[in-house]
Amino acid sequence: MKNNKTQSKSVSYAKWGYVFILPFFLVYFVFTFYPQVLTIYNSFFENYRDGLTQVGPNFVGLDNYKALLTPSNEGTIDIIKYFGNTIIMWIMGAVPQFVFALLLAVFFTNTRLNIKGQRIMKTVIYLPNLIMASAFSMLFYTLFSNVGPIKPLLVHMGILDKSFDFFFVTLSVRSLVALLNFLMWFGNTTILLMAGIQSIDESLFESARIDGASSTRVFFNITMPLLKPIFIYTFITSMIGGLQMFDVPTVLTNAKGTPDRTVMTVIMYLNNYLGGSNNYGMAGAISVILFIVTGILSLIVFKTLDRDRD
Amino acid sequence: MMKMKKVMSGVLAATMVLSMALTGCGDKKEASEKKEEGKVFNIMTFNEEFKGFFESYFAEKHDDGEYYVGDAKVVWTIVPNENGAYQDALDRALLNQEDAKDDEKIDMFLAEADYVVKYVKSDATADVEKMGVKDFSNAYKYTVEAATDDNGVVKGTSFQCCPAGVIYRRSIAKDVLGTDDPDEVQSKIDSWDKFNEVAAEAKEKGYYMTASDGETYRTFSNNKEAAWVDEDNNLVIDSAIQSWMDQAEMFAKNDYTILNDIWGEEKQQQMLDTGKTMCFFGPAWYYNFCMGNAMDTCKGDWGLCQGPQTFCWGGTWLLAATGTDNEKAVADTMNAFLNNEEICSNMVEKNQQFVNNQKVNEKFASDPNYGNEFLGGQNDTALFVELAKDIKFQNTSKYDQLCNEGIQQYYREYLKGEVTKDQALENFRKFIKEKYPNVNVE
Amino acid sequence: MDKRNKRAALQLAAARVLVYAVIIFLCFLCLFFFVMLFVNSSRTNNQLQRGFTLIPGGHFFFNMKNAFTDSSIQIPRGMINSFIVAAGAAVCTTYFSALTAYGLYVYNFRLKKIAYTFIIAVMMIPTQVSAVGFVQLAYKYGLNNKLWVLIVPSIAAPAVFFYMYQYLKATLPIDIVEASRIDGSSEFATFNRIVLPIMKPAMAVQMIFSFVAAWNNYFLPALLLTKAEKKTVPIMIAQLRSADYSKFDMGKVYMLILLAILPVIVVYVFLSKSIIKGVTSGSVKG
Repeated sequence: MKNNKTQSKSVSYAKWGYVFILPFFLVYFVFTFYPQVLTIYNSFFENYRDGLTQVGPNFVGLDNYKALLTPSNEGTIDIIKYFGNTIIMWIMGAVPQFVFALLLAVFFTNTRLNIKGQRIMKTVIYLPNLIMASAFSMLFYTLFSNVGPIKPLLVHMGILDKSFDFFFVTLSVRSLVALLNFLMWFGNTTILLMAGIQSIDESLFESARIDGASSTRVFFNITMPLLKPIFIYTFITSMIGGLQMFDVPTVLTNAKGTPDRTVMTVIMYLNNYLGGSNNYGMAGAISVILFIVTGILSLIVFKTLDRDRD
Repeated sequence: MMKMKKVMSGVLAATMVLSMALTGCGDKKEASEKKEEGKVFNIMTFNEEFKGFFESYFAEKHDDGEYYVGDAKVVWTIVPNENGAYQDALDRALLNQEDAKDDEKIDMFLAEADYVVKYVKSDATADVEKMGVKDFSNAYKYTVEAATDDNGVVKGTSFQCCPAGVIYRRSIAKDVLGTDDPDEVQSKIDSWDKFNEVAAEAKEKGYYMTASDGETYRTFSNNKEAAWVDEDNNLVIDSAIQSWMDQAEMFAKNDYTILNDIWGEEKQQQMLDTGKTMCFFGPAWYYNFCMGNAMDTCKGDWGLCQGPQTFCWGGTWLLAATGTDNEKAVADTMNAFLNNEEICSNMVEKNQQFVNNQKVNEKFASDPNYGNEFLGGQNDTALFVELAKDIKFQNTSKYDQLCNEGIQQYYREYLKGEVTKDQALENFRKFIKEKYPNVNVE
Repeated sequence: MDKRNKRAALQLAAARVLVYAVIIFLCFLCLFFFVMLFVNSSRTNNQLQRGFTLIPGGHFFFNMKNAFTDSSIQIPRGMINSFIVAAGAAVCTTYFSALTAYGLYVYNFRLKKIAYTFIIAVMMIPTQVSAVGFVQLAYKYGLNNKLWVLIVPSIAAPAVFFYMYQYLKATLPIDIVEASRIDGSSEFATFNRIVLPIMKPAMAVQMIFSFVAAWNNYFLPALLLTKAEKKTVPIMIAQLRSADYSKFDMGKVYMLILLAILPVIVVYVFLSKSIIKGVTSGSVKG
């Protein structure tokens, strides 16, 4: 009798599950899934605008992919180079981002250290995350450009040569991109990780301390393992965000990815085709490749981090 | 059943009456629209230059703070040129012209020399002679030719004529050459070899000859023998462009120039009174519109001469958009900036322009009392009248803007020492291929 | 014993100094560029081109007037547009993600597992993958230059859903839902009145994040919003980089950058307490 009742209950409530998830799926299918299918469909067509003339759509099979994956005169495959650029710049920013975020999260939550002025500090480090990426990049451009205030300062201090140009050296442009990304995101990560650490039962830390465990041991044996779900979340979102890097390098290099296209990210490349001539064919093919690469990378990260947990 | 039929016929009759009334109404509307001008005069352009002249000398400012031509309110859409952004926006708007509401249709748009032909030779522009622009007798011939399509239909007018020369800083010329007299300066830089020699002398005295590696670009590119993209859609790097690349490379290696974009801030800085650069290359619009720093801080310290090679640079055409509902406003604007002597004279006197009206230009050229304050009282119009005789407007293609922009940008990476020359050109080709998929770049 | 205590105290003090040094350095890094921005936005183009000083130039309002009246970059209009998009997207994202997470967490139904796996799987797909089709559709149906087109899709945000779901798993005892049912509350009422308040901290965090993301968003808006009166702030700022340099006024440029970020900073200064409190109290113990 009792069993029956609960069963009927769960059956009658089941429909609410569908109702609650309906808006999500409806919107997803119309505004994301369908466009995704269209993107893939487009990648098999020649379809662009040449000034005032529309060319296509003409079915061309795998020609767009062939064009993308054919090595150029120098023997490099452009799209692979741009993936490389993107990942390098993401790593350059993400490593300090996670190192400092973890450090700060531990510092702030450590009751023994008892950091004063936490509120102000957190306010300050989270601030850059609110700053519009394009505005922040434009600011960096104006400050680091040849007529900006920073270069003369460094030349005066004897650190830089007069002919040095921040925006014509691969390492320096990439570093600026990474610095911007780091500044914009480490506060955000800190706060997310802090929330994670604070959700850990305080008594666990206390008993560890009573047992005389060092802070390093507490960190590796208690904090990190319990923080892992939140850490995975922030790491994967950071990686996906990194692969989609666009605003910062676009504004810094005026969409050119200079020098030698070493700051050109995959999305900038995509935008080159999509933005001007509405080249849906080539842009579609790049999207499909991006989709496949992201999928593989996410899977790898998910699998390795998840395995660690067990 | 009968009742049903009755109702049906009633409905049918009503529908017919209604539809007749509606179509009747529609006809009337169309007929009246032909005469009546639209209430909004939409102009699309890429910067504020023409807007300034238009508001100062032509349009009327009403009490609401807006400008009007006749009864039509002027609405500007400004999209910067760079990276083809203006052309993209313009193309999309023109392709959407038929579907757009009357008040949102583009009535007139501006086009630069780099892409004016693309629009003139398309259906997106309309015959302006039919609208009432008829007198081209004062205009420079090349400005009319550039706005004429293959069937001889004129689609627009230019409000300026753009022979260009070398704008030099008098104080530096005196220091380097011992003179700041335009004729004497000209005699020392009237060939590229002499120009290069002077560059070496300027460097010895601690000056730069030019403030951008692209400074001399237009001098060479205007003298090209082939278009950027030929009839078979192949990208062609002309020998004139090669010459520019060689010259820029030599200048870069010897530190004769600052390596900077032609619109770059470093170059802007060089126009201040503290600037160390002797020569800037440009037409009349250049010092009015692009040398604000010099105007503000060192007016009068400038002179103008022909330079090593004659060339013209830029120029902006007003084109009538197909489907405009403000034909009169379009025609009035074009006529005003072409044939209205008062407006043209104002532009010369107050804005240092070289206008597209030979009569007005010649009047100033022969006026012994006329002098340009910015150029220390020199009569620049007199020189431009001479230079205008040699203007060549040829070998254009509809892909010129990004070719001109791109080659300078990508070549600079080579000049800066970041890539080899081959890589720079390869990157340039990639850029063109991405922007113009149907151009063969190999 | 005493010695050990002393050593420990000394160690702690040393650690404190180090920790403070790191934090202060990072804070300095975060603020430095904005100080420069603020100083530069008060100097004229002429002053700026002559070199940098830390002393404000006294032309703050002069530049502000120029920035506000710039006709090619209508920053006030851009700020309104940006706010509409960002606020709309933030509300849609958080509410519907919470709703979806709740629906999948509390109820048992046949497609539950598939739906969950589906969302987790598509979470990895970069939004740009749909951009090509999205842009094409928008142009096809004349929906470019419509702000709502940028708001509605945010209802389906897999990453936010994932966060909400994790949060529910950690904080929501099913008993509460059942107790509320016994009290006769409808399912929607239970969600809106009982579950939402519990999720408030998580909602606050995600609302900030999604607001910022939408406010920052440049890629898709730049492809869709081509009309001057529909442009959002990031598009206008990026336009600065390629603006016509001929009338370039660096004082105005700095001011436009400042204006683009100032409203958010002002709001943040006032709300930072509750934002950070909401973030840190975001995880309920147990």
